[in-house]
Amino acid sequence: MNGIAHLGTDSVIQNSLIGIKDGKITLLADATTAKIDRAAYEEVIDATGKNIYPGFIAPNSTLGLTEIEAVRATNDFREIGSTLPNIRSIIAYNTDSKIIPTVRTNGILMAQITPRGGMVSGTSSIVVLDGWNWEDAAYKIDDGIHINWPNMVGRKALDEDNGTFGPYEKNKEYIKQTNELKKLFDDAKAYSETEIKEEKNLRMESMKGIFNGTQTLYIHSNDVKEIVEAVNFVKKYELKRVVLVGGKDSWLVTDLLKQNNIAVMVSRTHDLPQYPEDDVDLPYKLPYLLQKAGVQFCLNNEGGMEAAGARNLPFLAGTAAAYGLTKEQAVKSITLSTAKMLGIDKTTGSIEVGKDATLFISNGDALDMRTNNVEKAFIKGKSIDLDNEQKALYLKYKNKYGLK
Amino acid sequence: MKKIYSVLFTFLIAIAAFGQETFPVNGTTNKIHTTYAFTNANIVVSADETIANATLLIKDGIIIGAGTKVSIPKGCAVYDLKGKSIYPAFIDAYTSYGVADSKGIPKTSPGPQMESNIKGAYGWNQAVKAEVDAYKLFNDNSSAAEEMRKLGFGSVLTFQKDGIVRGSAVVVSLADGKENNLIIADKAAAMLSFDKGTSSQDYPSSLMGAIALLRQTYLDANWYKTDKTKKEYNISLDAFNNLQTLPQIFETTDKLSALRADKIGDEFKTKYIIKGCGNEYQRLDDIKATNCKFIIPLNFPAAFDVEDAYDATNISLTELKQWEMAPVNAFALEKNYIPFAITTADLKDKKDFWKNLRKAITYGLSEQQALKSLTTIPAEMLNVSDKIGSLKTGMIASFIITSGNLFDEKTIIYENWIQGIPYKINDYNTIDVRGVYNFSYQDKRLYELKIEGEIEKLKATVLIDTTKTPVNITVTGNNVSLSFTPKDIAGTIRLSGNISTDPIRMSGKGQTPEGDWIDWSAVFKSTNTTTVKKDSAKKQPSFGKVIYPFCAYGKPHEEEVGFIKEKIKEFKNPYDAILIKHVTVWTNEQEGVLKNQDVYITEGRIVRIDGDINAPKTAFAKVIDGTGKHLTAGIIDEHSHIAISNGVNEGTQASSAEVRIGDVITSEDINIYRQLSGGVTSAQLLHGSANPIGGQSAIIKLRWGKSPEEMKFEKADGYIKFALGENVKQSNWGDFNTVRFPQSRMGVEQVYYDYFTRAKEYDAKQKAFGAMSDKEKASGTPFRRDLELEALAEILNKKRFITCHSYVQSEINMLMHVGDSMGFQVNTFTHILEGYKVADKMKARNIGGSTFSDWWAYKMEVKEAIPYNASLMNQMGIVTAINSDDAEMGRRLNQEAAKSVKYGGTSEEDALKMVTLNPAKLLHIDKKVGSIKVGKDADVVLWSDNPLSVYAKVEKTIVDGVIYFDNEEDVKMRIEIQKERARIIQKMLDEKKGGAPVVKPMPKKQKLYGCDDMEVDYMNE
Repeated sequence: MNGIAHLGTDSVIQNSLIGIKDGKITLLADATTAKIDRAAYEEVIDATGKNIYPGFIAPNSTLGLTEIEAVRATNDFREIGSTLPNIRSIIAYNTDSKIIPTVRTNGILMAQITPRGGMVSGTSSIVVLDGWNWEDAAYKIDDGIHINWPNMVGRKALDEDNGTFGPYEKNKEYIKQTNELKKLFDDAKAYSETEIKEEKNLRMESMKGIFNGTQTLYIHSNDVKEIVEAVNFVKKYELKRVVLVGGKDSWLVTDLLKQNNIAVMVSRTHDLPQYPEDDVDLPYKLPYLLQKAGVQFCLNNEGGMEAAGARNLPFLAGTAAAYGLTKEQAVKSITLSTAKMLGIDKTTGSIEVGKDATLFISNGDALDMRTNNVEKAFIKGKSIDLDNEQKALYLKYKNKYGLK
Repeated sequence: MKKIYSVLFTFLIAIAAFGQETFPVNGTTNKIHTTYAFTNANIVVSADETIANATLLIKDGIIIGAGTKVSIPKGCAVYDLKGKSIYPAFIDAYTSYGVADSKGIPKTSPGPQMESNIKGAYGWNQAVKAEVDAYKLFNDNSSAAEEMRKLGFGSVLTFQKDGIVRGSAVVVSLADGKENNLIIADKAAAMLSFDKGTSSQDYPSSLMGAIALLRQTYLDANWYKTDKTKKEYNISLDAFNNLQTLPQIFETTDKLSALRADKIGDEFKTKYIIKGCGNEYQRLDDIKATNCKFIIPLNFPAAFDVEDAYDATNISLTELKQWEMAPVNAFALEKNYIPFAITTADLKDKKDFWKNLRKAITYGLSEQQALKSLTTIPAEMLNVSDKIGSLKTGMIASFIITSGNLFDEKTIIYENWIQGIPYKINDYNTIDVRGVYNFSYQDKRLYELKIEGEIEKLKATVLIDTTKTPVNITVTGNNVSLSFTPKDIAGTIRLSGNISTDPIRMSGKGQTPEGDWIDWSAVFKSTNTTTVKKDSAKKQPSFGKVIYPFCAYGKPHEEEVGFIKEKIKEFKNPYDAILIKHVTVWTNEQEGVLKNQDVYITEGRIVRIDGDINAPKTAFAKVIDGTGKHLTAGIIDEHSHIAISNGVNEGTQASSAEVRIGDVITSEDINIYRQLSGGVTSAQLLHGSANPIGGQSAIIKLRWGKSPEEMKFEKADGYIKFALGENVKQSNWGDFNTVRFPQSRMGVEQVYYDYFTRAKEYDAKQKAFGAMSDKEKASGTPFRRDLELEALAEILNKKRFITCHSYVQSEINMLMHVGDSMGFQVNTFTHILEGYKVADKMKARNIGGSTFSDWWAYKMEVKEAIPYNASLMNQMGIVTAINSDDAEMGRRLNQEAAKSVKYGGTSEEDALKMVTLNPAKLLHIDKKVGSIKVGKDADVVLWSDNPLSVYAKVEKTIVDGVIYFDNEEDVKMRIEIQKERARIIQKMLDEKKGGAPVVKPMPKKQKLYGCDDMEVDYMNE
């Protein structure tokens, strides 16, 4: 009751009433005008002056697929081979990862668990950040296939051992690689249209969904020329659901993206501009540039130390708000817009009647690190534990030193 | 006029005359001592002296007379050079002519190589090759010599281009023949560079390591000289000492490395001759201040292919401007009285030499200077001006014969005489038939025949009515042949004939397509009329302004227009005071946060903070309305790796205490500007964390546009980086890196004990030596200065302070114990992610902590890193800072500080201190910066909002009372950059249209360093 409800739909109710029943939102109203029957609810939470948000969604994340990046044994986000559509992230998703509780503490309640590497990395799935095991956590299994568009220019490793790279040079394999992709898609499309299969092919099977519209094709690309190529590539297959992931240069091709109905999942905007000449705040204002141009977009935190840093997703939205977006547009960019892109917006992603009661209360603006203070969080109506091992260590040592 | 065969004849004789005294002869001896006289020539003795209508007399390869009063003896070969000029042959002071490349010694295993692979009593490092003498390696190479001779060169300095110390170079002539006759000066110069070359040894792996190695080599050589015991015999050091009497030539690859070289020279009282790279004009005032002589190349970059707008974004403003301005470098040096020689070095194709030299001349370089830079200046540099470089009696007869003024586009170099031996380049007996002729054939009608182009490649056209018909023309001696296909005739007319001169007339017979014999003639009418074009070509082309630094968001110095000013003026501010009105001030002092204050800044200091201040009328003050805004002290990044050149780690040894980040600061890193845009005003630039004892750090103020030296924080204490944990034991460096000690935390402790034990002994020795009288010092065993141990001794003497990269509690505890027992204290634990576990122990020793806000889980050792760490340490009374270690995060440190409000409930004021006052304390600069207080440096930031809010943006970043980042100015600069780029890109497009070769643009990786970065090839990043 009485919380400031940021609905995720680009709108806000300053003094709200939100009712939850059986895991769903059953009531959403303005407390200044609506009256409710208190007796109909088992528990009433007073959220006066506090902020309520739909659970933030971390798309394109390796959460649960890695624990400590430098320790190889803990990494499960990359498989060997370059075209692996049948690789499925969901079964490696570790609900017991120590990182996950630290992420939801900041309001992130859902994530798209995404494999990395290769030209076709594999299939992602969407989870809620609560559950005994991956079956429990799964929200939408195998939601889409991720491809990394080949680079036109690249750097060769000089020394395999410590990862130093030589100068940029033209990728001589580019044509070969794109042809390989083309063949894969031609074969997969043909396969999906063939009624009686001579032989079952796991890779082809796994790609059927992108042709019949039940799965999304996520194309990871940042460079403008590569984006242009990628867009023209997918055009031919008349796919219903295509998302561009990364999109550093997407602001240069907004018309093309709009014409082809391609949304952009913008990778970490806490990033340096690519060129010295670039506007110093170019990454920060990229979401605004897309908003202004009318391109659908959402934010993700892909980059170095991405799993552990997933908890900073709200602050990427905060920065976007400092550099052009309205605060509600910024909220939308990590809630409803994300849900739409992931194809789960019918049931989650915003505070609306009939949707999952996946939301949280923050005592303060959750997009600002200064005030992000999540006090209560619900996933599908269930209140979740907001403690984590880091908090426990904090308390342990506070206790040791006798600090208040 | 002489015929060609006569020239060939003298050529053969000359070779034979050039025998070796000590060598046996197979056949009959053939010694010839002809005197050659060149008469009626315009003799350019040197750039300062020209004698018209003079005679040059040479014998046995030596000039025996030059002037108008030279009498020609009997029995002398005479060449009439009427209308022609004689110049001294050029000297190239920087080549590898005739010296084979060093192949180096290959590595024996894929892992680290700690020691030198060179067998024998040489020095410890493979990159110090003082013992190499080029004169012993020199072999005549006729094809390379011919290429240089064609350009007009007669002698060169040559050496083996390999290593940091490259041994001695030799001056040789470019004549062909036995090497015994070609060496002009055997040990002419000592050669140095920053590039370790083929050395397979790991050390040095960075530029700062190369500098440290050179520095220690100077000290060791000096010690070696004075040590009479010679318990250690060392060929390299011995040779190094022997090199010291020679001119010292230092190769640099950037204007800043020229400054670095000069700094080393100053330390060891050596004035280097600096082999530059062609971008010296970009920091001309600093270059001039070195007082060094320069050898500069003319390797102007090719234009880029900028037709594709997307691809063109890969070309930086620096590259665009360098392309436009490279030809102006020589002019800029000349205008600023910086002495320089010109070399063909670095030219991809030596054939471009003349094209580029002429280009430099059109950009303003005077012909006189060009000639000096190719003759007398290099001769003086190499102490051979008594032998080569001008045409005086007694000097070596090396000269060129030209058709006229050497620097005119149309001038031809006919012959290059080296040591008295002629090398024909163009035959001056060939008649120059270029001009316009009255031409007739068959029907006696007069046509116009025009002959132009190069002497070797003539182009001719005949004007028949209004149609220009191309004519093939060949001139051989006095024979000429023409063929062309006139419009009105089916087939080709072929004409042959004789050329007579004064005036030129051609006539003879030819055949029509039908085979009828006809007569023809061509009578000289006039020279080609190209004078108008020539004048316009001579006009100095326009080029942009030099910006400081020479990259995007750099600014030109006021009032400086294309080097026309003789001296570059100091950059001056358009204001001399700043008054910020009605602003919320976060003082970081007892007063806390003050609302609605006016802050007055002048002469780099905070002068007044008060409710209402009026700017004094005497000062021109910039008044800024701070209503609704916040003013804080500038952010100080305790742990940064920006603005560092060519390697952040010298991790090849367990200790690299001798290396100094201060040696390799770069002023041209865009990240300086980006950090300013995030409110950073000072930073500690740290060595990486690859070894337990890293290098010395540098504290800078982010004075964007100033030189590296000017960025250094004045009188700041010295710091050094230590490191613990996985990086120093190379845990995550792959399977090969299991050689260098230590490989475990246990070993790390022993590294410290070992080094500090030695440092203590060293310190005692140094002190004892220092206390000796000069006499005692001279008679006793000399003291060997060791810069590595000296740095550690400074720690023991509290003159240098430790910032230690650390993660887990065990190692932190360990180092504190080592310190306790060895008598030193860690100043700051940086990263210190488990600081919360040992906070009481740190507090007890008064050690500070500088940590990340919320990084964790990227390595095993940060498994228990918690975001509450900063708050906990702060609560425990530890001076706690939050640092970046990351160029991106460095510009959002206010946000990172705000996280300690979220995690652990630190107050907002305390949180801000974590990125301002506390790092200032940790760096011992808090008396000057870190808070807003009257009398302190005016290093302040104006924010649009509460500085800890994610919504806060920096509006102004002020350092020393100068606005270095201004959000309004920034928007203007973006437009400026765009315009400047567009202007140059248009020029490049024209160049491409004009048929010039272009290079495909490729992206370049921004060099961003973190703690773990190791260079493999530090000179080619």
